[in-house]
Amino acid sequence: MSFLSLIVKNLIRQRVRTGLTVLGISLGITTVVALGVVTHSLKASAGQILHLGGADFMVAQKGAADLSFSIVSEEDVAKLAQTPDVEYVEGILFHITRIGTNPFFFLGGREADGLARNPPTLVEGRLWGAGAANQIILGRVAAADLGAGVGDSVTFEGKPFEVVGIYDSSILYERSGGYAPLRDIQEMASRTGVVTAAFVTVQQGADPQGVAAAIEAGFPGLVTIADIGEYGKVDQGVTFLDAANIGISVLAVGIGAIGVMNTMVMSVFERTREIGILRAVGWSGQRILRMIIGEAVLLCLIAAVVGSALGVLATRAILLIDTVRTLLVPEYGLDVFARALLVAVIVALVGAIYPAFRSVRLAPMEALRYE
Amino acid sequence: MSSRPSIVDMREVVKTYEDGRVRALDGVNLEVRAGEWVAVVGPSGCGKSTLLHLIAALDRPDSGSIIVNGEDLSTERNLARHRAREVGLVFQLDNLLATLSAAENVQVPMFEIGLTARQRRERARQLLGLVDLSAKEHSRPPQLSGGERQRVAIARALANEPPILLADEPTGRLDSASGKRILDLLADLQARRGLTIILVTHEASVAARADRIVRMLDGRIVDEESTHPRPVANASSASQ
Repeated sequence: MSFLSLIVKNLIRQRVRTGLTVLGISLGITTVVALGVVTHSLKASAGQILHLGGADFMVAQKGAADLSFSIVSEEDVAKLAQTPDVEYVEGILFHITRIGTNPFFFLGGREADGLARNPPTLVEGRLWGAGAANQIILGRVAAADLGAGVGDSVTFEGKPFEVVGIYDSSILYERSGGYAPLRDIQEMASRTGVVTAAFVTVQQGADPQGVAAAIEAGFPGLVTIADIGEYGKVDQGVTFLDAANIGISVLAVGIGAIGVMNTMVMSVFERTREIGILRAVGWSGQRILRMIIGEAVLLCLIAAVVGSALGVLATRAILLIDTVRTLLVPEYGLDVFARALLVAVIVALVGAIYPAFRSVRLAPMEALRYE
Repeated sequence: MSSRPSIVDMREVVKTYEDGRVRALDGVNLEVRAGEWVAVVGPSGCGKSTLLHLIAALDRPDSGSIIVNGEDLSTERNLARHRAREVGLVFQLDNLLATLSAAENVQVPMFEIGLTARQRRERARQLLGLVDLSAKEHSRPPQLSGGERQRVAIARALANEPPILLADEPTGRLDSASGKRILDLLADLQARRGLTIILVTHEASVAARADRIVRMLDGRIVDEESTHPRPVANASSASQ
């Protein structure tokens, strides 16, 4: 018999209580995992945008609550292109519009030369060229959703566009949306003369960080974003989700710890005499402590596994909603499960401290006399 | 036997309860030689179980010294180590863990002495063989008779090969046949392993199996007698 098997036997003998405690903690872990996966996936999807067209970084309006609210003037875009070591700058206007049941259809307004320079991978048709109007290339998923092929006409907000090409992309927003001439999208979005963000490619050999710093110094109203860690500069939503995730994790720890504490206190209380016997046959207080904490940790590790599995299922259930599916591709990052594990371990330790010390403080004779 | 070294030496041991109102032990002096079997007898409440619990380091005396196998328990900080290595305890109730098999119960004390899982299994098997319960190693306590449970308890008490076995009314709840078997087993352990046995009982027939009988009354040792013609160590060690 190993020490671990003794711990397992102690948990198994109160199956119902152990099961209910595991379930209770699992629900907290499920929330942590589901929200973690959603946040992680949203960030990953957002992160793909930062390097549209192979850009080194994105430039957007400082302090924007959401990237789609960001405004960068075409004049600034032109000035950005004059910054030393900048090879190319492309301004793109993002316009999110409702198509059928999808309220988040992504429309990108681009200049013809920018599109020609960094085009998505065409699978059918062609790109629209300079001077084109009311033409669009659609992502593969968008074309399938709309049931549109090359030569068909699709209408956005009452404005008809001729589909001239269909492309594929590894970027969710691209393959679920489309690109049309910048002027058409500016007119549709009533944002003449502005874009949402500028995408900057630096000259070969130049330091992107140095160029970004120079841009921030020269354009006080703009921020540069090179990786997802900086995305909060222009999107409070992700920051909010992060905060909510931490908040829910803390709540899960609190609620879970109380559950574990209740279970372990009951368990220690019921086993007072047994603990006395263990002390009488020579077990040290430290070993009793290890046994009680071991039981709590095992309980919570089981809950972490169950909760993680339920969290994955919950995420898949969330993705059955069309709206959500267009916003994110689930990414089950290791950090999400590491957080779930951390929550479980903290729950176990916090929940076990009191009952463990209570059991250690029991005098052997007092425990042996307990009926 | 008198040539053997002292293994338990209690001097002027006092133990009180309820803020001193109950004087369980009142200046007890007792010396037990290695390999000796001592029976402690007396009426209920005379302090015989308290005496045993102090030797087992389950409790500390208020005053006096208790030296067990060279360790002074009144100053020893790590009493758990003493319980794990120096003494084996057998209670009136077997006090086995009901969810564990006989073999697993025997293994429980061994966690404290650093044996591997295989060594623990092997030693438990040997000890169950010693108490003639090899066939019951996978049985849990509720599946065993009272006598079998008590034999498992003896095997558990011997798990860490302690030099001293402390038994508190080990036959108190057994029928006479089972009780005799337990006593025969203890006698065999004393003879073959040189085990020192201190046994608390209120049954004269049980006490008669010991080398020496120590009588207690009101927390004091009032009389001692040898049950064998050979001299018993330190016959004058009884208080008063």
